[in-house]
Amino acid sequence: MSIVFTGFGAVCGVGKTVDEIFDAIVNGRSAIAPITQFDAAKWPVRVAAECNVENKILVADRKLHKSISRTDLFGIYAADMAVQQSSLPAHREKMDAALVPKFNDRSGIISGSGGGTYRSSYDYLPLLTTAKGGLQQFGRELGNTVNPMWLLKNLPNNVLCHVGIRHNFKGTNTTITNQCAGGIMAVAESAAAIRAGEADRMTAIGHDSPFEPETVFHYHQLGLLSDDALRPFDRDRRGTVFGEGAAAVVLEKSDDAKARGVKIFGEFLGSGCVNEATGILDVRPDGDGVSRAIEIALADAKISRDEIGMIVAHGNGTRASDASEAIGVRRVFGEKIPPVTGFKWACGHLIAASGITDLVLALAALQKKIVPGIATLNSNDPEIAPFPISQTAQTPRGDRALVICRGFGGMNVALIVRAANS
Amino acid sequence: MNPRRKIAITGIGMVTPVGNDAPSTWSALRAGRTGFGPIQNFDASGFTTCIGAEVKNFDADSAVRDRKLRKFASRSHRFAFAAAEEAFADAGIRPENSTAERWGFSVGAGMMGFTFDELKNVHKFCAPDGEFNSDGLMHPEFSADPVAFCRSQTNAALALLTHHFNIRGYATAVHTACASGGQAIGTALKAMRRGLCDFMLVGGYDSMLNPIGLSGFCLLGALSTDNETPERASRPFDLTRNGFVLGEGAGFLVLENWDAAEKRGAKIYAELAGDGNTLSCYRITDSPPDGDGPIQAMEQSISDAGITAGEIDYVNAHGTSTQMNDKSECAGLRAVLGAHVENALVSSTKSCMGHLIAAAGAVEACVCSLAIRDGIAPVNANLETPDPECNVNIVRGKSQPKKIRAALSNSLGFGGSNSCLVFRNPEEVK
Repeated sequence: MSIVFTGFGAVCGVGKTVDEIFDAIVNGRSAIAPITQFDAAKWPVRVAAECNVENKILVADRKLHKSISRTDLFGIYAADMAVQQSSLPAHREKMDAALVPKFNDRSGIISGSGGGTYRSSYDYLPLLTTAKGGLQQFGRELGNTVNPMWLLKNLPNNVLCHVGIRHNFKGTNTTITNQCAGGIMAVAESAAAIRAGEADRMTAIGHDSPFEPETVFHYHQLGLLSDDALRPFDRDRRGTVFGEGAAAVVLEKSDDAKARGVKIFGEFLGSGCVNEATGILDVRPDGDGVSRAIEIALADAKISRDEIGMIVAHGNGTRASDASEAIGVRRVFGEKIPPVTGFKWACGHLIAASGITDLVLALAALQKKIVPGIATLNSNDPEIAPFPISQTAQTPRGDRALVICRGFGGMNVALIVRAANS
Repeated sequence: MNPRRKIAITGIGMVTPVGNDAPSTWSALRAGRTGFGPIQNFDASGFTTCIGAEVKNFDADSAVRDRKLRKFASRSHRFAFAAAEEAFADAGIRPENSTAERWGFSVGAGMMGFTFDELKNVHKFCAPDGEFNSDGLMHPEFSADPVAFCRSQTNAALALLTHHFNIRGYATAVHTACASGGQAIGTALKAMRRGLCDFMLVGGYDSMLNPIGLSGFCLLGALSTDNETPERASRPFDLTRNGFVLGEGAGFLVLENWDAAEKRGAKIYAELAGDGNTLSCYRITDSPPDGDGPIQAMEQSISDAGITAGEIDYVNAHGTSTQMNDKSECAGLRAVLGAHVENALVSSTKSCMGHLIAAAGAVEACVCSLAIRDGIAPVNANLETPDPECNVNIVRGKSQPKKIRAALSNSLGFGGSNSCLVFRNPEEVK
């Protein structure tokens, strides 16, 4: 049984549809620009890839804006777009009413969420001032100062809940809070759920809005941020740059998609997920996790490394991660590495949304048979070379793409997809 | 198709408000001893609810001997370390270099990253007048604490535990509020059936017993306000129930392939036999009064386990002690169990431990394992005036000996996620 993608949605700094984002990337446009969401004039890091799409365009229901947080707006928007594109709701409307409950029970959702933010806690700052440091006073004044729905507004599983309510998808579900790995794992787990017969169709979502002063501050302190461009695998790369946004996909069995007569955008082939056991920040310099995740994904997809036509690398622009990623890729592919690209130089690092955004863009790349260039790449790092990255576009050497996603906590995830109609 | 892999539970560990390990927790639950009292860890006297179910006399130094690691571990991470270590020791197996890549990890992770003291520090530099000004972070005296930042990451416990115990295979962390722990175990079951791992460390941890966590629940009016009678405050299924008591802690289990566990002569508590997982799609805080959502989760888990509802001898209910949950859950139980509802014993161990939020489902999975091992359905404490609308066979007064062929555990979360797990007695597994 093959599992196919029948809906896509994405939003980030360079666009609010998959096509817009892909076009921007192909044209060398990056969303990385001076920060406007807070006054960073005196900061050592003054850039980010902000997503400045208006809230009412993201989610039309203004009442909902008050009960969810910024990251949730992105997630709901991308999911709605993917679900509409799959035309599952229209299909359900035409169904025999007696079959609808089963259809709903067999439709699942998995979201990958950035989870807890510092920003959410700032709702308590006025109360701290009122309480003048006294906890007793803090407790007494609580109800007069803080929104009674505060906790619900900040639940990491809000997108799951609201996408569920909007589309009445009542099947298997969860919210993965595994930092960068969340969104791409949502896709892998969704495909696994269909394979195992736990659901007939799944909506997978990744969303994040990591870009806030305290996070920027701490990443900077740890030396992880660039203060200008994000240059993956470049000799002069200086770190990553935050972005914000979301992506979503609808997955279902190919037979169901064909029977419904909907457009198929690509096929899920396999995934691998491993941990390097290196703690919160460290990565293994030998690329162990990267290569193991790829090997597992190849075995899961039942294909050989030679069948991979292109690679979308994690390429977050930090020294340690990019170097070890390249080594890990070479451990698998030897000297025959297919064309490699990455998209964070344009979209910024979307953290929990990064891997799933890379996935939808990989499918766009396969469809258009273009491996977009990395516009910010000046000079390949000799310590990484030979590594087939380029400032200009390359051509995929086959119809399958490998997507790599790495995260804090030693996480490494690889996912393999194939273009439609092949 | 290959016959489905059977998964054995071979180790358990718990840190709870009624005991800092599994044996002491289980003996308290059997005796119906509760762990409630005025909150001691901070001055909660001004809050509408100032009682809680705190973990007591927890020795963090011995739970996490590695000092560097201890620094990176928050209060709830430390509970996780202690419970995980106990589970490994109990199972008599742990990752070695030769097996590390076949070990996986799945955890229901608490949602609180920052601490109250960190927020106070931000307030001092960025918002003395209440309004956040980001330039305060640039103040030379603002202490940048990279360790606190690391600790605040959503997958910090995953990172620390996989690192410390050398788990190098599949790893995930989930958060669906009160369903987190159950869903983490369900995720693990599915990963093992897919053959991704041969062994897994699974569990949940949480502590929201701090000024911000307590605030969140006080604002929602979800907590019992029986500040004068804390020991009776959590009374699931009682007509007079008025909210839950916030708890904290961790529960972890070691899972192995059944055949391999048998072969090495491991003691097997139970088969982790079935998972059911649905979304209510109703409202963010409420479950549908007719039990829709939980019903499908329970039915799925029973059929996934390959048994019938008639074999469920014990139900560890979600039973939070809120009006809404308990009513809806009982409606669901009646629908699923049918005539067998007369026989199946039901209790909510939240009546003793309080609600451990993201850890609840994991701790309650440990409880189901022990209930099966000892043939005892633990008491639902504090039930004095049964609610006629909660018309199920609740274990009242004292714990009840009974051979348990299969146990079912519900975890129903804010946001509408419903997780239901089924555990089978090893004697019933052929």
